Amino acid sequence: MKKTALLIIAVLGILLLRAAEDLPFWGDPQSPASVHLSDYYLEESYEETSVPNIVTSVLADYRGYDTMFETVVIFCAGITVLIVLRRTHRRRAKVISPRPERPGADIILQTAARLLVPMMQLFALYVVAHGHHSPGGGFQGGVILGSSLILLALSYDIQMALHRFKEKLVLLFSAGGVLLYAAIGLACLFLGRNFLAYGAWAALLGISEPEAHSHGMLGVEIGVAITVLCIMFSLYIDLASGGDLDEGL
Amino acid sequence: MLDILVIIFMVMGLFFFFGTTVGIVRFPDFYTRTHAAGKGDTLSVMLMLFGLALYNLHHLSPATLLVSGKIVIICVVVFIASPTATHAIMDAGYEAKVRHWSRPGAPKDPQDNSGEKQ
Amino acid sequence: MTWDASLLWQFDLLILPMVIICAIAALSFKDLVSCAVISGAFSFLMCLLWTEMLAVDVAFTEAAVGAGVSTVLLLGTALHVKRKSKD
Repeated sequence: MKKTALLIIAVLGILLLRAAEDLPFWGDPQSPASVHLSDYYLEESYEETSVPNIVTSVLADYRGYDTMFETVVIFCAGITVLIVLRRTHRRRAKVISPRPERPGADIILQTAARLLVPMMQLFALYVVAHGHHSPGGGFQGGVILGSSLILLALSYDIQMALHRFKEKLVLLFSAGGVLLYAAIGLACLFLGRNFLAYGAWAALLGISEPEAHSHGMLGVEIGVAITVLCIMFSLYIDLASGGDLDEGL
Repeated sequence: MLDILVIIFMVMGLFFFFGTTVGIVRFPDFYTRTHAAGKGDTLSVMLMLFGLALYNLHHLSPATLLVSGKIVIICVVVFIASPTATHAIMDAGYEAKVRHWSRPGAPKDPQDNSGEKQ
Repeated sequence: MTWDASLLWQFDLLILPMVIICAIAALSFKDLVSCAVISGAFSFLMCLLWTEMLAVDVAFTEAAVGAGVSTVLLLGTALHVKRKSKD
């Protein structure tokens, strides 16, 4: 069986390597992907959206509809894990050994976590807010925010992190982030433009249209960050505790 | 002048990195290896980052000062996080009762198997 | 920001063998916890590779999601299922 698998993988690998010969070179301006659309984005996106980071402007503005459903996919993944794992009534047999009873042994970890968590959260907010000018944005900032909560839950225990951020609130906010995204898009619809055409906010906020695009992107990124934060935390507490949220790793 | 300082920091960082590598390869057991990795890594990363922060100050302007400040903040984070991670790994090994090394001829410690105390 | 393109293939030569070693090691270990840790290392090397190709946004995402959160999630899962893999 193993030899058959090895043979299949070897044949497929050779085929893929042969196919990879036809791929364009790295950074080739004549490659099909960068002939038709890239010029437009490189030349026009700053005038249209006043966002220097083209990746952010493509992700959140030109392809905003795409990004909204990526957020919905993350939301669905989190909800699915919750449905499969979360159990409230029946206690299952513990496979995992309980954490050792050594009071005071975790004090170094807990102090370091208390020092690091505010720094991580500040950096995550910077990443979300500064995604227009530097690498980053809603997904990355949300993941860093979520991992700060995970660090709290790892170094203390899940109960302590859940005491800070209740499970009901986690689920509420994870839906709220997606809804914030959709609401910003729908508001554009009600202001007489297309869905997620942020230019509609210009008259309402009293700013020029490119700036309205920039502000709309910021709002969208905040929605993405809230959803990703809550889903990451919810994934961790469900996976690490096996669904009964008592102590975890 | 600044160049000489940068070179000194970088070479010291590389030296401690080399020491870390030799320590990981040559030390006999889990605890001493983790000790070498934690200590040497933290010091050498901080030295090299500090050298980079100084190198960035060749053209003194608010922008380069900002970048250097960010690198110094990375130094602070590494100084907090890296020893803590080493401590956590070491503590997990202690909980899992990894046996420590002792000299071949040394008298046998009665509590050796439980991994309690050397 | 400028990038000296002449250094690219040296970085490739450094990183790609380590990526392949990590990929094979992550598949061949029996202990699922070691596999989770090695897949974290794999993600970090991929992050270096993205940075070298100037796709800094992708590299940032890979560092945050791949090397950060997903390693923790895999570890949490590996401790709850049977720890030794059969093949």
